[in-house]
Amino acid sequence: MLSRTAEYLYWISRYMERAETTARLLDVGYRMSLFPNPSGYNNEWESVLSAAGAIERYKNKYDTIEQKNVEDYLFFDESNPSSVYNCILNARNNALVVRTSFTPESWLAINKTYQEILNLKEQKFTKSDLPNLTEWTIEQVNLFRGSLSSLLRNDGYNFLFLGLFIERADNSARLLDVKYFVLLPKPQYVGGNIDNMQWSILLRSLSSFRAFRWAYDGNITATKIADFLVLNNNCPRSLSFCIQNIVKHLTNLRCSPEKVGRIYNNLKDLNTKIQEEKIETIVEYGLHQFVTQFIRKISSVDNEIHKEFFN
Amino acid sequence: MYQSESVIRNHYNNINDWLDQMTSKVILEKNAEAETHFRNIGITFSTNNETARERIIPFDLIPRIFTYTEWLRLERGVIQRAKALNAFLADIYNQGEIIKANIIPKEIIYKKKSFEPSMFGFSPPRDIYSPIIGIDLVRTGPNDYFVLEDNCRTPSGVSYMLENREIMMRMFPDLFHNNRVTPIDDYPTRLLQTLMSLAPIKCENPEPVCVLLTPGPLNSAYYEHSFLSDQMGIEMVESTDLFVEGKYLYMKTVDGPKRVDVVYRRIDDDFLDPLCFNPQSVIGIPGIMDVYRTGGVNICSAPGAGIADDKAIYIYVPEMIKFYLGEQPILDNVETWNCEKEQELKYVLDNINELVVKEVDGSGGYGMLIGPKSSKSSIDEFKTKLSTNPKGYIAQPLLDLSFSPTLIKNQVEGRRVDLRPFCLIGEQAQLSSGGLTRVAMNEGSFVVNSSQGGGVKDTWVLAE
Repeated sequence: MLSRTAEYLYWISRYMERAETTARLLDVGYRMSLFPNPSGYNNEWESVLSAAGAIERYKNKYDTIEQKNVEDYLFFDESNPSSVYNCILNARNNALVVRTSFTPESWLAINKTYQEILNLKEQKFTKSDLPNLTEWTIEQVNLFRGSLSSLLRNDGYNFLFLGLFIERADNSARLLDVKYFVLLPKPQYVGGNIDNMQWSILLRSLSSFRAFRWAYDGNITATKIADFLVLNNNCPRSLSFCIQNIVKHLTNLRCSPEKVGRIYNNLKDLNTKIQEEKIETIVEYGLHQFVTQFIRKISSVDNEIHKEFFN
Repeated sequence: MYQSESVIRNHYNNINDWLDQMTSKVILEKNAEAETHFRNIGITFSTNNETARERIIPFDLIPRIFTYTEWLRLERGVIQRAKALNAFLADIYNQGEIIKANIIPKEIIYKKKSFEPSMFGFSPPRDIYSPIIGIDLVRTGPNDYFVLEDNCRTPSGVSYMLENREIMMRMFPDLFHNNRVTPIDDYPTRLLQTLMSLAPIKCENPEPVCVLLTPGPLNSAYYEHSFLSDQMGIEMVESTDLFVEGKYLYMKTVDGPKRVDVVYRRIDDDFLDPLCFNPQSVIGIPGIMDVYRTGGVNICSAPGAGIADDKAIYIYVPEMIKFYLGEQPILDNVETWNCEKEQELKYVLDNINELVVKEVDGSGGYGMLIGPKSSKSSIDEFKTKLSTNPKGYIAQPLLDLSFSPTLIKNQVEGRRVDLRPFCLIGEQAQLSSGGLTRVAMNEGSFVVNSSQGGGVKDTWVLAE
């Protein structure tokens, strides 16, 4: 497989995953905006922007944080590199180059999405459309992921999934961090009614609300949620699930055992730690520190993948 | 489709019945379905006049049909021509017998930009310079086919031939139950076999590694590049994926360098190797010509193959067929005046109102004058051009191209068509069982090029 092909495949799934995260964040903002805004909490659209890592760039463009502008910025704006539109555009342009390396269905799924978002962009949208737009995005991404199931299980497949899980690990960690510290500025709020609402919104943004209910009995507590999103191997968005899958798709690569070995060595400790750690220890040590370290590690793994395989 | 005013040619009867029973609602729906399909699979193109959104070529639902016997003659004629063109290339880059025999003057060969001096004295595998040739044909009477143009470099359009058939089979399966249409979907397999049969001498691999070299996503035929490499199961590479080391060509893969034996290149000569051709080119592979000349890789088509489809050389193809193959040409050329020759230029200037004048290096239907359809001012403009640069032009009579029934606003109307079948030459010579039919969608138009509002049709060859 060409190095360039591997790189493009890797980025296609990163972009598609990112499109979904951005759409889900918008959905969270939309839900939050329907509830009365309690004191002590930040403006919901501001936290959506910071979770998307777009707050600085947004403020350069707009003076005030308003739903309409945030929606446009995160969904359609061509100047925002992580807007749903740009993610789909980039995924599609990459797919155009490597369409020979995946199935016609995968190409169709991406290209149809692209054709449709062009139409959506031309029509723009009215406020009430946002739920439809996010639903549409999630549907399209699922269509793409579904199409991957008929792929040959070769290195291309593994690079696609490496990209997916690197992106997801990063997104989950950032969401967790932002929610924990932006949404819960004061410890006394923990466990209150409003707090529960905020937590459930975090779960929704990770498409894990119902799953959490099934996985844990009793009350929603911060510790349970942290356990669910950090350590639970059954939760497809947890940090540990992502790491496990990064390791799996990395070690499944057949192309170069040496390169795989080098990257794996860097990742091994984190993997072991996350599989053995107790959530109480992490919370005691500081979830923020843990998550920050995690994000740094993922980013260094990403760099190594680029260095070893795509150059 | 029509033999005379109202008599339908036999082999179109089925289609006529099918058309009769289609309501305009169905036609509208099917047209929309075809358009959506082409957009979704991404079979789009861009023209010189760039707009933000990619365009798709108008697709006409009514197929063009050839009987088995009609096709047999075209097949023999095209293969004959393709063989002669390759023999011509082998000759002029080596002995130059045809020049010694005073059949073609040497100036018109050696002074052409498309002649490649670095190819002199080198013979590619099997002496095949141009393994994929697209021949543009027009029909002016029941059995009168003429060759309008040869394409020996990197003829495009075969993906349309294949996709047009796919969409027809998908939308109108019954048509294919009721008509015996020769399949064409083995074209990519045959293309790959052809490329593999042209492995370079130093290739030890029993299954040579072939790649398709594309200029990249901005090229108007990019869809075709990815489509063909996908269908053949070979890598589509850009020049940055390739590099030369020692006497071989390699591609950069995730498990290190991998040797490449045959490059099906879809880029122009100028951009192949900055060390040998255009030093300004940023998309070439430095050193590839050296590897090529020493038998480490084969480049298809060969650099310099373009001289064979030069519009000034075209005039001599019937002579080539006689000279190299000792046969009579099966397909005729269109009568052509070479403006380089004083007498012929005079004739062209005197009769320009009846002639079509084309740039020797032009393509895509740009830079041509259709005398009978042009205003006095554009005729005068061309007269000036002809007088100042006679070498740059040829002239041909305006051919009465055959009409094919075409759906225009839900009505069946006649529109002019041409045909490009694709000929493959490697271990064996073969013709696609069909081709790309291009249709001039505008009433009265003679120009079928997609850049000028032309459309395409599925092309059927009926089985024996």
